[in-house]
Amino acid sequence: MPTLRDVVLAASAALLALLAAAAGAQSQAQSQQRSLAQAPAPAAGELVVFAAASLQNAFAEVGRLHAAAGGTPLRFSFASSGVLARQIEQGAPAAIFASADEQWMDYLQRRQLVATGSRKSLLVNRLVLVVPADNVASVTIGPGFDFAALLGKDGRWVTGDPSNVPVGRYAQEALTRLGAWTAAKPRLVRAENVRVALAFVERGEAAAGIVYETDAAVSKKVRIAGVFPPDSHAPVSYPVAAMAKHDTPAARAFLHFLDSEQAREVFRKYGFTVR
Amino acid sequence: MLTAAELDALRLSLQVALVAVACSLPAAVAAAWLLARCDFPGKSLLDAVIHLPLVLPPVVIGFFLLLLFGTKGPLGGWLYEHLGIRLIFTRWGAALAAAVMAFPLMVRAIRLALEAVDRGLEAAARTLGASRLDVFCSITLPLMLPGILSGCIVAFAAALGDFGATITFVGNVQGETQTLSLAIYSLTQTPDGDAAALRLVLISLAVAIAALVVSEALARRVRLFIGRA
Amino acid sequence: MNAPDERLVIAVRKHLGDFALQCDLGLPLAGLTAIFGASGSGKSTLLNLVAGLLRPDDGRIAVGSTVFFDHAARVDMPVEQRALGVVFQDARLFPHLTVRGNLHYGWRRAGARAKPAPIGFDQVVALLGIAALLERRPHTLSGGEKQRVALGRALLAQPRLLLMDEPLAALDAARKVEVLPYIERLRDELRVPILYVTHALDEVLRLATAVVLLEHGQVAVAGPLADVAAQPAAAARFGADIGALAYGRIAAHDERYGQTTIRFDAFELRVPRVALKVGAAVRARIPARDVALALSRPADVSISNRIEGRIETINPLNESGSQVEVAVRVAPATVLRALVTREAVDRLGLQPGLSLWCLVKAVALDAGTLALASGAAATRGAAANDEPGRGAPQRAR
Repeated sequence: MPTLRDVVLAASAALLALLAAAAGAQSQAQSQQRSLAQAPAPAAGELVVFAAASLQNAFAEVGRLHAAAGGTPLRFSFASSGVLARQIEQGAPAAIFASADEQWMDYLQRRQLVATGSRKSLLVNRLVLVVPADNVASVTIGPGFDFAALLGKDGRWVTGDPSNVPVGRYAQEALTRLGAWTAAKPRLVRAENVRVALAFVERGEAAAGIVYETDAAVSKKVRIAGVFPPDSHAPVSYPVAAMAKHDTPAARAFLHFLDSEQAREVFRKYGFTVR
Repeated sequence: MLTAAELDALRLSLQVALVAVACSLPAAVAAAWLLARCDFPGKSLLDAVIHLPLVLPPVVIGFFLLLLFGTKGPLGGWLYEHLGIRLIFTRWGAALAAAVMAFPLMVRAIRLALEAVDRGLEAAARTLGASRLDVFCSITLPLMLPGILSGCIVAFAAALGDFGATITFVGNVQGETQTLSLAIYSLTQTPDGDAAALRLVLISLAVAIAALVVSEALARRVRLFIGRA
Repeated sequence: MNAPDERLVIAVRKHLGDFALQCDLGLPLAGLTAIFGASGSGKSTLLNLVAGLLRPDDGRIAVGSTVFFDHAARVDMPVEQRALGVVFQDARLFPHLTVRGNLHYGWRRAGARAKPAPIGFDQVVALLGIAALLERRPHTLSGGEKQRVALGRALLAQPRLLLMDEPLAALDAARKVEVLPYIERLRDELRVPILYVTHALDEVLRLATAVVLLEHGQVAVAGPLADVAAQPAAAARFGADIGALAYGRIAAHDERYGQTTIRFDAFELRVPRVALKVGAAVRARIPARDVALALSRPADVSISNRIEGRIETINPLNESGSQVEVAVRVAPATVLRALVTREAVDRLGLQPGLSLWCLVKAVALDAGTLALASGAAATRGAAANDEPGRGAPQRAR
């Protein structure tokens, strides 16, 4: 028979485990990148916004401004654009979708899921190479640059899964154009989205990572070792649109708000280029 | 028929699961022994800790492993500095994640088998001149064999199917940690990846059925061996 | 194996819940000592203490000069070093080994212990008749076969002492009959001392050379069987009818009537034909229930065994006194007991000193080497038979 003491100890152990997990989950860099986004159930009058992981910080702030300005309360879901697009395709009740590349918006458009006339390309980002903050290496990224040297003997680099995450696609495109993809591919760790990739570099597990400039900016634990020349990849463009099945005036109002000077200032602050 | 990546995933899955089961077997037997036969302060605590992977979300377990065995973690750092072993991003890390998730299932099955062994037989063996260790090796262990076998099969299946702990701890590295589960996950995110995902799902099914069939046949053999017709 | 004057010393105390066992025994290291008592009297506990499967709270257990347990000296020899053979009630054969594997188990672990005269594999197999079973698995054996294999396994461990914990209790009557003779052979041919726990009186009377009676964890009676059985209150103590024990030899066989005559020190008995040679030594047990009394030698009665004697004592057997045991001395060394009613005693006017006839209806026979039968009584009987002319033999007419 377990004594009271044993039961208390066992319960404490489980509680400790849960607290530790919660503590870890709350730390900035790790909090939302783990959201293998569940479809949120919208409360009445809430607007559901699906946005790429790299838009996390900026959109959260814009959302607050939107609410302060008397707009409909927003419920966000941040994840890899591919994950979100597939969820919308399966019927997730998103009213707005902001993707990190045009391809995933095209994907939905082909399936008649985008509200006519609501799509516009909002922001532009840059692709950078980051390393853990204590690594002072700097590299000029150009044709034939030696990626392997940066990684060392057995180091690995991380970015979003090139098969479906926008940042990974851009990275593969850039590295291929620069002739470094074949050497780099075997060392690649595929992350579910750009923030997960960032976290790996922050923790020092990955020797390097390819993320957006805006992501590198929000993290103190990484530093930018190099910037990818814009002609090495398709422009990192963020289309945003209302979804056909939930095209409401409130949705359109939010889209309009994204264009406002208030919102643009926020985006610029975080390092995006606004069209 | 199968692409190189798919074959990689299959081979890796089998390797990771087998290594996970083989390495956790001695620990599982020891844990089962402690829980079934010994009494000591903190026994309930040990029981609870061993069963944590059953009740906690797999991602949490993966996160714990990351904290402990990451290159900067207390155990991972030591391993890297002194033995040059890195677990993260490697198949050995994947095996560790799978092993941790499968461990409680293995311990449960083995403990049941241990508790079913007739203590009277062990007493008889001692009167015939066998030391306690001798009794364990010559009597207890052989009689536990069916339970150990079923524990291994269950653990193998659990290890094969793990996703959350693996992807959180060792990430998704094709050819190194991308097991069947992770490969299917990647494919379901990829546009037009459904066909390939389905192929992998069928392969996983085939592996699971094969494991079941083999385990049934083995179990029957073993039951005959230990004399329960 | 052991010097004839060495003893098995069991002087221990043990508490198990509500039950307390306490005994101070010095048992012979020869022959078969039966530990007899009702369920819960502590017999199996005692055996487990000797085997080392239980630890005494206090005291000392020693076999000759080898100390198994001594609380004061902090000695507690582990089970596996005690060189004992144990036969359990449920055989406990290892299911994953063949019979041969089971037999070898203790043998392989006996090491160099058994020199100079080890108990041999073939010898044991022949003794127990298990040669045909060697490659079988335990679950295919009958209960009796399992116990014989268990006996063999314990013997092949080269034990200095064989412990048997109610080995026949789980067997049906037919299997008991099958296995009992093997135990007798063990006792007589292998010279390994046996400690035999049982609650069956007939096993005690057939197998034992010495007996210990346990009641509620205390030793009530202990000693050679004949001595214990001869005590007047023995019947009450043992809770059953022992009757009288007499030692004699086979005198002749009568093929025509299928009978055998046995000569005792002062009388003879006719019994149904037994398969023993003329001259073989036997111990006869004559239950009191099967002895009737007559004031004069009856002629027209079916009972052929009629023995003359003199009443020694008359003792009541139950509280009301309606059942009475009459002890009749029929020979210098033999007292027969008869179970009669108080009504009969009064009607016939029975009293100590009276001469009368004992009518013996049935006799239980038990063959055994006289050397193992308990001391004086046996030698007395044998000596009387060997010297013709000492006391007129009383023929049963």
